[in-house]
Amino acid sequence: MKKLQITSVLIAIIFAIGFIPEVSGQSLTGEQIVEKAYNRATGDDQTSDLTMTLTNKSGNQRIRKIKQFTKDLGEVEKSIMFFLTPADVKNTSFMSWSYDSDQNDDQWIYLPALKKTKRISSDSKSDYFMGSDFTYDDLGDRKLEDDTHKLLREETIDGKACYVVESVSKDEDYMYIKTITWIIKDNFIGLKKEFYDEDEDLLKILSIKKYEEISGLLIITNSEMKNVQKNHKTSMVLNNVQINTSISVSKFTERMMMRGL
Amino acid sequence: MKTKRLILILLLMASQFAIAQNPDISGFARNYTGVLYDNGDFTILQNTFNLDISKSGDKIAFKANPMLYHYNSDSLNLRLRELYLNLYFNNFDLRIGKQQVVWGKADGVFITDIVSPLNLTEFLLPDFDEIRTGVIATKFDYYIGNSTFEVIWMPVITPTETPPESSIWYTAPDFPIAPTFDYSKEYIDPSLKNSEVFVKYSAMTSKIDFEIMGAYTWDDYPTMHIQKTIDPATMQLTGLNITPEHHRLSVGGGSFSTEIKGVILRGEAAYYNGKYFQTEDPLQIDAIIQKDYLHYLAGLDFIIGGVNLSTQFIQQTIFDYDKNIVNEEIDNTMTFMARYDLLRETLHLELFSYIGLTNNDALIRPKISYDFDDSFSILLGSNIFVGDSDGRFGQYSENSMIYAKLKYNF
Repeated sequence: MKKLQITSVLIAIIFAIGFIPEVSGQSLTGEQIVEKAYNRATGDDQTSDLTMTLTNKSGNQRIRKIKQFTKDLGEVEKSIMFFLTPADVKNTSFMSWSYDSDQNDDQWIYLPALKKTKRISSDSKSDYFMGSDFTYDDLGDRKLEDDTHKLLREETIDGKACYVVESVSKDEDYMYIKTITWIIKDNFIGLKKEFYDEDEDLLKILSIKKYEEISGLLIITNSEMKNVQKNHKTSMVLNNVQINTSISVSKFTERMMMRGL
Repeated sequence: MKTKRLILILLLMASQFAIAQNPDISGFARNYTGVLYDNGDFTILQNTFNLDISKSGDKIAFKANPMLYHYNSDSLNLRLRELYLNLYFNNFDLRIGKQQVVWGKADGVFITDIVSPLNLTEFLLPDFDEIRTGVIATKFDYYIGNSTFEVIWMPVITPTETPPESSIWYTAPDFPIAPTFDYSKEYIDPSLKNSEVFVKYSAMTSKIDFEIMGAYTWDDYPTMHIQKTIDPATMQLTGLNITPEHHRLSVGGGSFSTEIKGVILRGEAAYYNGKYFQTEDPLQIDAIIQKDYLHYLAGLDFIIGGVNLSTQFIQQTIFDYDKNIVNEEIDNTMTFMARYDLLRETLHLELFSYIGLTNNDALIRPKISYDFDDSFSILLGSNIFVGDSDGRFGQYSENSMIYAKLKYNF
């Protein structure tokens, strides 16, 4: 009985030791923290209605509505967006295939007025998406190895204990020389992110306003990107989020881009 | 006039019926005004109302797209750009009715894109979404993964629309005496025998997108059969009779686009078999001669400093060339496009140009547009024709203009 108790204690200690690096941030490196944030489970597929509200410095607003579908197929993640408003871009669709490997993303846009699907350059990642404050790169999955990550400190914001990680771009020509991200220790959600331009001046701040548990997964449903230099902002709200509904692979084809919703 | 009224009444009735089904309705209203640099004439005074009515379900969808053009007089021109039904099945779709079909990877150049003919009544100036004419057709698309096999059957030819004699875009044929025209052979009866068939296989892959096409069609441009009457006594030309007639044409071709290090590389080519060309050879009957020709393009799209750039080189080569043919043996053209968006994509700067390398002429089209809000925009632009007056663009050097478009989208 005593032998069994000792064995149980030893197993408990071994498990405890095994778990220490997972629960204690002190031994996690900046890269490990960002990796956990990047690899946070978001489901095999997702459907949602996206509303983007663009607010300029005078307070005037423009609204863009999009229906989007995403599916993770392992080596490749496919997504398709259907633009609902404004009227001049209605029925336009955008499809992207992102690869885990070094291969460039494949991107196409269907322009209903021209009735044509065009392959577009993935070099446009630094372009702003539909005139918003989000670049295509801000919306996509940036690769872990694109930056050098360093844990700066731990800090509590909005009552949540966070790791503060600085990520410096390895590409000198990249539009952000560095970013600083506040990552919640409990769930590895990036709660806040600061983007610095080539002069190392603060350019934009991304704030997560709301995240929800949907189908057992934490999904960011309300975020805001503010350009502090030009004093305009974009809010992004997700509604009708559905996770793991087994979206068919055939959704991510030219047929569906042209057919629309 | 009665026919127009009837069409309008039918359109209104159809709209009422469609609205009762709660369809999606969108469109635009636009004012378009153009002034010639040469003499200050308002060459374009046009108001346009475009209505796009559609309803889509899992198995069936319909679309109606009437466009109403109002000109400086009270004249109205109603165009039904599209009116079709879509039937969706598991692996294939069927589209029946009047429709516009766009093929190929070229921008502003029509090589394999020959299903929907062009409306050239205002030369190449209308937006590319308005320059095509709808065709009455049945389109069958069969899908295998990311590839599509497409067959289009057209029971009736829809010819290319050319400018009327009153238009500034009309180019009068250069004849020593005034010709007479016989249009009796221009019309082709819709029948099975006279049908047009187009087939295409296309695929969209992670490495490359490509299309392979073939067509047994009619030449959308009528061939001018010219019969001369010569006085045997004086050997002088005394009569000239011109009979426009469409002829059969077989076409095979393909296109591709791929990305290489952030640059989109595009290519497109078509081989036209049995096209009739005008000739000055006196031994050729009706002053025409049949030849094959190749039309191809290579293009690049890239981004530098946030500016979207695109350039294309286009060549048209007539095989087994005869020096009496009116067209050049080799005709080279380039296009260039630059576009830059500012102020959170509300201010757009664009420059598009065709450059004729064979005749050293060009059409240069700068424009600037501003979106006041999500529905209202203003565009200021210019169409500048320069170069050799024998060239395709240089011949219109007196038609250079400045124009404005006010547009409300709904």
